[in-house]
Amino acid sequence: MSITSTAAYLARRAAQKERVRILYRRALKDTLNWAVHRHLFYDDASNLRERFEANKHVEDLDTIDRLIADAEASYNKWRHPDPYIVPWAPGGSKFTRNPTPPEGIEIIYNYGREEND
Amino acid sequence: MHSIRKSILRHMNLRRSTERWFASDVNVLMQSRCLCSLTSASFDHILPQVIGMVKNYNRIDASKVTKTADFQKDLNLDSLDRAELIMHFEAEFSIEIPEEKAEKLTCCADVANYIATESDKRLIG
Repeated sequence: MSITSTAAYLARRAAQKERVRILYRRALKDTLNWAVHRHLFYDDASNLRERFEANKHVEDLDTIDRLIADAEASYNKWRHPDPYIVPWAPGGSKFTRNPTPPEGIEIIYNYGREEND
Repeated sequence: MHSIRKSILRHMNLRRSTERWFASDVNVLMQSRCLCSLTSASFDHILPQVIGMVKNYNRIDASKVTKTADFQKDLNLDSLDRAELIMHFEAEFSIEIPEEKAEKLTCCADVANYIATESDKRLIG
């Protein structure tokens, strides 16, 4: 009984840690989307970090779940409508801009001369 | 300052033995040729940059940073610190590291390796 409950506890803790990590990563990226300049971003990022650190030592599982749910709700509420996308990633400004030619196509560097010339 | 000292030392060597100078000259030439012909950033070029960035991170003891130092165990970073670090790499190398991959990057060499393979992929297609 105690082993299963410990396992269940650990599994739940692991899931919570995973959620927090993903949430923090997304929130941090979103902070960069909202901050127009880097120097603004640094302050916002440290504020975000403080908000996460404030609940670092919460022990109760249900409280943690509630806190994560609240945080995710507020993340979704403040999500940026037009987030930054890396230029080469899908949806980025340079996505498939210079696609590689299909296989079998090659450039022959004979400078305009035919083979029989 | 360091580079000045280096170049002076090299000239001192030149006076002492021409053989040595030629050897170093060839090396320099080879190096510059490599730099010119490189189209994608290779692992060896990315790694020092990655290590430099990790050393600059304010929660890390810079003297502990090595190629294979584990972020979590050796450098005492928690998961949030690692998320920050990964985001830093993403911004620097303008790549996107998916979450499941980001989890597996535990040391500088891992990160450099990942970035090198990603930039190769971008060139190929």
